[in-house]
Amino acid sequence: MNLIEIYVSEVGRRLPQTMRADIEAEIRSALEDMLEERSKKAGQPANDEMVLAMLKEYGDPEKVAASYLPERYLIGPSLYPIFMMVLRIALIVTGVLAAVGLGFAIYQSTLTAQGVFETVLRAAADFFTSLVIALGNIILVFAIIEWALYQSGKKIDLNGNAKKKEWDPHSLTKVMPSNRIKHSEVIIELVGCFIAIILFNFYPGLIGFTPSLNGVVGSGNWAIGFGSAEFVRLLSSAFFHFVPYLTAVWVLTIILNIILLIQGYWNTLDRIISIGLKVINIVIAAAMLAGPSLIALTLAGLTKSLGDAGTAQMILNLVTQVVHGALWLAIIAGSLDVIVRLVRLAQARAYIPR
Amino acid sequence: MLVLAVLSQLDNEQYGYSLINHLKENGLEIDQGTLYPLLRRLESQGLLQSNWRIEADRPRRYYIISEEGQKLLPQLKQEWNSIVTLMDKMLK
Repeated sequence: MNLIEIYVSEVGRRLPQTMRADIEAEIRSALEDMLEERSKKAGQPANDEMVLAMLKEYGDPEKVAASYLPERYLIGPSLYPIFMMVLRIALIVTGVLAAVGLGFAIYQSTLTAQGVFETVLRAAADFFTSLVIALGNIILVFAIIEWALYQSGKKIDLNGNAKKKEWDPHSLTKVMPSNRIKHSEVIIELVGCFIAIILFNFYPGLIGFTPSLNGVVGSGNWAIGFGSAEFVRLLSSAFFHFVPYLTAVWVLTIILNIILLIQGYWNTLDRIISIGLKVINIVIAAAMLAGPSLIALTLAGLTKSLGDAGTAQMILNLVTQVVHGALWLAIIAGSLDVIVRLVRLAQARAYIPR
Repeated sequence: MLVLAVLSQLDNEQYGYSLINHLKENGLEIDQGTLYPLLRRLESQGLLQSNWRIEADRPRRYYIISEEGQKLLPQLKQEWNSIVTLMDKMLK
């Protein structure tokens, strides 16, 4: 294979398949024209030196290939500030939870140097895993949004720059004060979702009960954690059965909030999706209420541990009431939230710009 | 400017290398890495048409301005003239 062919294929391999053959043929043709002219000027047949000089002039294959392609970003300049903000939130939440987790783990570990060392090592591994997963997912979400934005405005202008849709002053009507997002609300919801995802998926051991209630977890219940006999998990496997569904809703809520931060205002579709997510949350809370007990504590275990059936019953009732209360609160507050969002949706749709 | 220069010179069919030489003769030096992607882009926007032809045992892609390109050309010329007039006035 001669140098021209190698050069052409070096350019081609950096191009999408759909345009490769066509561009390769054109570059090959151009190079042959150039070489022919140089050979005529020099009054001698083309040689390797001439070819090398010509290819140097034509340029680095990487640059030549890039000149045929529009500039692409995994996360472009318009999304970058919001990406950094979301990333900071995720890093802070992950870091704080890891620190709390480490504190708990050291508290429960045997106080030997080896015990503490092993605990720190395990906590560091947990932190690293949760960090990589959180970062990977955030980057994935932003990359998908960037891709969607690119596809929606794929046309390029005469200068080869991505062409944005022509700005329409009517679009200002979407940014009425009532439609404008409240950054504090969005950020609080983002932080809450990050905490919930990381806590329930990576640090389930943090949701526990006071130390000293030794051996009161019912058999067959959730038992992954820091492995201490002192710390009792509060929530049963019935609760963790719902975690994948809840995680899906939290992830979708994060995506919706990221989109809201990018847009800066609510549109009808965002409102409908947010209502849908709230309704799913209510349904999950109702299913939790109706299903098997979410509490890992048993009366027998508590009685055995405390030596007093009355106190055990009281603690069990209290915990049950707190969990049920929290679920009822989630259902009632969620329903009110849905009503408020429906009213806002109706108001937004009724608004006719002058 | 390059768009205007290229469109204005493609009343008659030309292949890339001949267009480069033609522009050079008229005082505008443009490198291949800029011209070929530009021709391709203008074609994808419907301002140029192209066809492959075998000439002297070599396939060559010939470009010519399209109907849409001809409609756009006067507008680009007018914009260019306005810029030149404006800059002339400012630099005096």
